[in-house]
Amino acid sequence: MPKLVQAWLDIKVFSAPGVQNMESKGDTTVKTVSLQSSPGRGYKALAYFKRYWTLYLLLLLPMTYFIIFKYIPMHYILIAFKKYSIVQSVWEMPWAANNGFEYFIKAFSNKDFLNALRNTIMLNFLDLLCGFPAPIILALLLNELPFPRYKRVTQTIAYMPHFLSWIIIAGMAKQLFAPSTGLVNNALDALGLGRVEFLNDPTYWVITYIFLGIWQSVGWNTIIYLAAITAINPELYEAAEMDGAGRFRKMWHITLPGIRPTIVTLLILSLGRILGSEFDRPYALSNHMVNNVSNVISIFVYKYGIQGLQFSLATAVGLFQSVVCVIFLFAANALAKKFGERGVW
Amino acid sequence: MRRTISILLVCFMLVGLLAGCGSEPASTSPSPDTSAPAESTSAGSAQDAELVDRKFTKTRSITVEVYDRGNDGGTPPENNFYTNFIKEGMLRDHNVEVTFVPVGRWTEVEEINNLLAAGDAPDICVTYSYPTIQTYANMGGVLDMGPYLREYKDLLPNLYGLLTERNLFWNEDPETGTVWAIEALLFNNARINTFVREDWLKKLNLPEPTTLEEFENMLRAFKNNAQLLLGSEAKQMIPFSISYDIGWRADHLLAAFVPDSMTDKEAYINGFDDRHILYPGIKEGVRVLNKWYNEGLIWQDFNLYGAGDTTEDNLMKAGYVGSFIHNWDYPYRNGEEGIQANLQKLVGPDAAYIAVAPFKNDAGVYRKFLANPIDRKIFFPSTNDEPLASLLYLDWISKLENRRFLQIGEEGVTHEVMPDGAIKTLAVTGEKIMNSPNNIDYTITINGLDLGDPELNAKSLALNYAGVDARYIERAFELSKKDGRIIPQFNVGEIKAEEGMGPALASKRDNFLVQAVCCPPDQFDAVWDAGMQDYLNSGGQAIIDERAAKFAQFYEK
Repeated sequence: MPKLVQAWLDIKVFSAPGVQNMESKGDTTVKTVSLQSSPGRGYKALAYFKRYWTLYLLLLLPMTYFIIFKYIPMHYILIAFKKYSIVQSVWEMPWAANNGFEYFIKAFSNKDFLNALRNTIMLNFLDLLCGFPAPIILALLLNELPFPRYKRVTQTIAYMPHFLSWIIIAGMAKQLFAPSTGLVNNALDALGLGRVEFLNDPTYWVITYIFLGIWQSVGWNTIIYLAAITAINPELYEAAEMDGAGRFRKMWHITLPGIRPTIVTLLILSLGRILGSEFDRPYALSNHMVNNVSNVISIFVYKYGIQGLQFSLATAVGLFQSVVCVIFLFAANALAKKFGERGVW
Repeated sequence: MRRTISILLVCFMLVGLLAGCGSEPASTSPSPDTSAPAESTSAGSAQDAELVDRKFTKTRSITVEVYDRGNDGGTPPENNFYTNFIKEGMLRDHNVEVTFVPVGRWTEVEEINNLLAAGDAPDICVTYSYPTIQTYANMGGVLDMGPYLREYKDLLPNLYGLLTERNLFWNEDPETGTVWAIEALLFNNARINTFVREDWLKKLNLPEPTTLEEFENMLRAFKNNAQLLLGSEAKQMIPFSISYDIGWRADHLLAAFVPDSMTDKEAYINGFDDRHILYPGIKEGVRVLNKWYNEGLIWQDFNLYGAGDTTEDNLMKAGYVGSFIHNWDYPYRNGEEGIQANLQKLVGPDAAYIAVAPFKNDAGVYRKFLANPIDRKIFFPSTNDEPLASLLYLDWISKLENRRFLQIGEEGVTHEVMPDGAIKTLAVTGEKIMNSPNNIDYTITINGLDLGDPELNAKSLALNYAGVDARYIERAFELSKKDGRIIPQFNVGEIKAEEGMGPALASKRDNFLVQAVCCPPDQFDAVWDAGMQDYLNSGGQAIIDERAAKFAQFYEK
């Protein structure tokens, strides 16, 4: 076997804990531990590099990409603390007032920003609360379907909306939910239930927003759970059947625990996005009646930063957002580890 | 052997990668070097020596921004019949090579922003947003045009002739004397009109409304006679349609509630918002809309649709809309694709919108607020190293002969001459199509058809709308300006409190106006007051205060 291929296979096994789950867990961890804690560590590492240096050379390429396009531009984050000028480099710009924190103070004394912050947290939290369990439930349901063809068709239909842009969904929502001409409202009216202001009333708007979010993404998010379910050893189900377990018992005691690592991983990643905000979804769905609940941080940044040309303010807000997200990510990961899960890293 | 090959491959990749990185700075670094000498030779009066009879002895080159509208069947905005006309003319008359830089019409501010930040902005930039220029100027990104305009005055007879000192020095700072941008001439300041369905009035035997009360009764009559007017589609009846942009789309109605006694000073101090929301009396005008909305006289779903949505236009084309307020020529625009043309196609040849004047103010006149004669703002970014060549360009397109050709094109192709000399616009496709009406994107120093003779202009304007009866246009033009008031300009320099606030305050305004129109009548006062308070607290009051202080400083010494 060519050496490079051999090395590649070795590396795959070596790095398995990061990507692979469950089954091979036992012996790979042993391998890692032994490599790291054995007495001749320095020598072993040298031998290791001598053997695999070509692979590290290959790794240089993506690393260079990240450094050039992701890390070097990052120094422009400094404009959050400086008075932005279009003609000066970021090093030449003068520092902002209040030890550079002028724009953070400005943001936090801005009512619109606080409103946007509240809305972002509220909408993301509701999204998490309603949107996170939805694909798990759908995956469990799909898994129980006895006819494979019916299952496949249902799954395809369910994940199709993922490919629609929010602009299109917002257009459809107007056609369906407009108070006096919308299809749904016409139907409700014909049934004598009266018209509902799905898009014009702040409370109903939030419900519509969350509902459309689930509708758009539930099928797509199911895919990863279904993949995890197929990895569960079928012998476990057979054994459970022998013990007289019904469908719900099997779901509860085998399927759910089987996909638990996947659920935890995705939950951690979602928590990392709690303060992140999409732009097109709230922007496309919002209108002038519901602005008090639909104005989120990304819209604030767009309005003040891009349209109002207040770049420093927008960067300060963006930086704040990122820092909070990173904190959440680390906290969620630490928490997950504390409860015995593996976490994201 | 294989190992050697793989190592070699990896090494090649690395070299390629490094070369890729290396070439980037290498290609950008020479550009400042080449621009430096050009700057030094063109600075100041050294330029005069190289200019003979307003023509450069050595060819100069400049870049000019042009809006890209992406219109159906259009030609590339940077390279077509009309740009060739300009390029040839500039080379012949001034020995200046012109290159056009297309910039998206609806994203102009964002694109110019990127170009400026990258140091690639065209030598001549155009925008509708003065605050944008002010922001760039504060960052040091804009050239002060003042010294050049004064120094080269004799070389620019056409520019001075068309724009006059008024428009050229409109933005001159009263203290420092800087001129960050010159103002193009708004030749035709017709602004807004109130339109009603002429055929519906006839069907219901109603006279044209001349008061608010008559207008309101007319709306009720439309609603009550929906069966007669729309037959089986009676449910679709919209007596009055409006959009989220209440300030614009109810302008004549709201302006009639502003006391006639409002002074120019008051108008200036409360004049930051271009929809005049801070003028006294507006609240009562919005209350009328609130009443109409709750009575079902206004399109009930208007609040769902945002900027650029065509739903409302389609409702007008389908014939469901009885009346509306909009741009002075709105239903007549766009020829075959326009509202009037479609209405007549779908409903019948009698169907038409006609302009009316129903809203009188407390002095009994049809007061409306017209714009000052300023239009787009032209500025030179600080990377412009050919200010004189750029000014000569502006002079060239301001010359009557040149701008006339750009506005009406070739005879028999884009226009025909009527027996009385009036110019009739012809629809054209192919390479001589005008991407913008009257090539407004190339005649950046003027907005509005100008043939050099006022009488000819009026006649030609009425013929400028292919397929629309001239009497509608003449009437709309007249009523749009009837009893108009222009608030004079008070030049007090920059108002610091306005910087960056425009978009945020405008969206606040739209939000609370929409909410005030759509709320139940008994909540109107609460919604309005809360909205106005928020507007003022979020920067509105600071702007009013600074304007008042500046006004006192410069005009009440």
